[in-house]
Amino acid sequence: MRKFLRRFAVLTVVGVLVAALAASTAVAEAPAAKKAPKLSGSITVSAAASLTEVFAKMGADFQKLNKGTTIAFNYAASSALATQIQGGAPADVFASADGANTQKVVASGQVTADPIDFTANKLTIVVKKGNPKSVKSLADLPKLGVVSLCAAAVPCGKYATQMLAQDGVTIPTDKITLGQDVKTTLTAVQSGDADAALVYATDAKAAGTTITEVKIPASLNVLAVYPIAPIASSQNAKLADAWIAYVISPAGQKTLAQFGFLPVPTT
Amino acid sequence: MPLIAVLLALVAVAFFVLPLIGLLQRAPWSDVWDDLSTPAARDAMKLSLVCSLWATGLSILFGVPLAYVLARAEFPGRSLVRALVVLPMVLPPVVGGVALLYAFSVNNGLVGGWLHDTFDIQLTFSTSGAVLAETFVAMPFLVITVEAGLRLMDRRYEDAAATLGANRWTVFRRVTLPLIGPSLFAGAALAWARALGEFGATLTFAGNIQGRTQTMPLAIYLLLESQQGTAIVLSLVLLAVSIIVLVALRDRWFGAVRES
Repeated sequence: MRKFLRRFAVLTVVGVLVAALAASTAVAEAPAAKKAPKLSGSITVSAAASLTEVFAKMGADFQKLNKGTTIAFNYAASSALATQIQGGAPADVFASADGANTQKVVASGQVTADPIDFTANKLTIVVKKGNPKSVKSLADLPKLGVVSLCAAAVPCGKYATQMLAQDGVTIPTDKITLGQDVKTTLTAVQSGDADAALVYATDAKAAGTTITEVKIPASLNVLAVYPIAPIASSQNAKLADAWIAYVISPAGQKTLAQFGFLPVPTT
Repeated sequence: MPLIAVLLALVAVAFFVLPLIGLLQRAPWSDVWDDLSTPAARDAMKLSLVCSLWATGLSILFGVPLAYVLARAEFPGRSLVRALVVLPMVLPPVVGGVALLYAFSVNNGLVGGWLHDTFDIQLTFSTSGAVLAETFVAMPFLVITVEAGLRLMDRRYEDAAATLGANRWTVFRRVTLPLIGPSLFAGAALAWARALGEFGATLTFAGNIQGRTQTMPLAIYLLLESQQGTAIVLSLVLLAVSIIVLVALRDRWFGAVRES
């Protein structure tokens, strides 16, 4: 009986201790769990060139909120990024300027989650500062010396081709210089001698006063929708998911709007 | 021969051979002709040929006199001039393109605006611009090869011709030129090969216009994303040309290296 009592006492003490310990850790963990799982390490975000300015800002904001994390960016044409990812380039998140290039990496098995459309964009005409050739609309483009477009495989090139076709505008091939991404396409006007370029409205905004923008009315324009998706082989899927969550969060959407991006149309 | 040297040498050889095998095994052999017949490929090949030959011609026209001056004339700052001439060989081509842009751009170039207003010449985004960019990177190869030839030749032949009453032009044409012939050929071939492969300066300075400035390297880079087959076939054409240049030069160029 005494033996039993002693054993009972020991068990009780152990039980109380375990309970207390559990309670204390629960108390300690509660606020952290509520805030978010602790993020650390780094990821590489492969992003469309048109996202250069806005993602740089969002990356800085995100790292301020999550000390100890590093978001590195790899900006290029979405088509080039898709080829890179298919070739095994290290990437944790892919933010493309069109669905087609996202589907390429889905098809090759590198994206297993469902891509999320996170923002949208439209095209615009940029000309030299002050518009010396007085370009007023898309119809003026064939009359110019050199027009800078994105290459056919690059989303901005695909959207431009689609828009020119739908609006019945044909620019002679020997007047078109092709840029390998939207930023190069813009640079041809900015520092080169191309007379006009078709780029995203956000790129014209980012270029500021170095160029003059000639807007294209919505009825003649096209809408570019940007999907974002985690790459299946990511070594830091937690941080990749957190970045995507931040991009689609109200804070992320606010920054996108500040840089001239449009909300995703609800269909 | 120490074993370790042989092993490391084998690694080095494998390093050079593997990429070639990689390219060859991806070649769409059955579609080679179709890929070469696409408008983009044909325009690029034609343009590359035209531009590289122009660049070689300009390099000879201006490069041979320059080599002659560098080899024969004594003047202060000669080594500085030679350094400037050789600079494009080590300068990243894209930097050359940017530099050309700020010299010849109509918009914000040093002399580009004047050229445009006075003579209505626009070099940027034009075939002449592509030729200019290729000449910029190719001419140094010709100049240093010809200069070396001029320095190595026996000048007593020139003196003999002069004492026999030949004027300077006759001496140059009948004695000097034949004697430096191999160097001139080697220099021109190297310059042509370099011009043919020019990418960075052309893209930056002349843009990427099909049929006008889109030479083969530019077409390869752009088509790799959309028409991979054509890009690979064009790469093979350039590889074949490089091998031909190498074979043509094996005695003249490598022979000269062996002798010296």
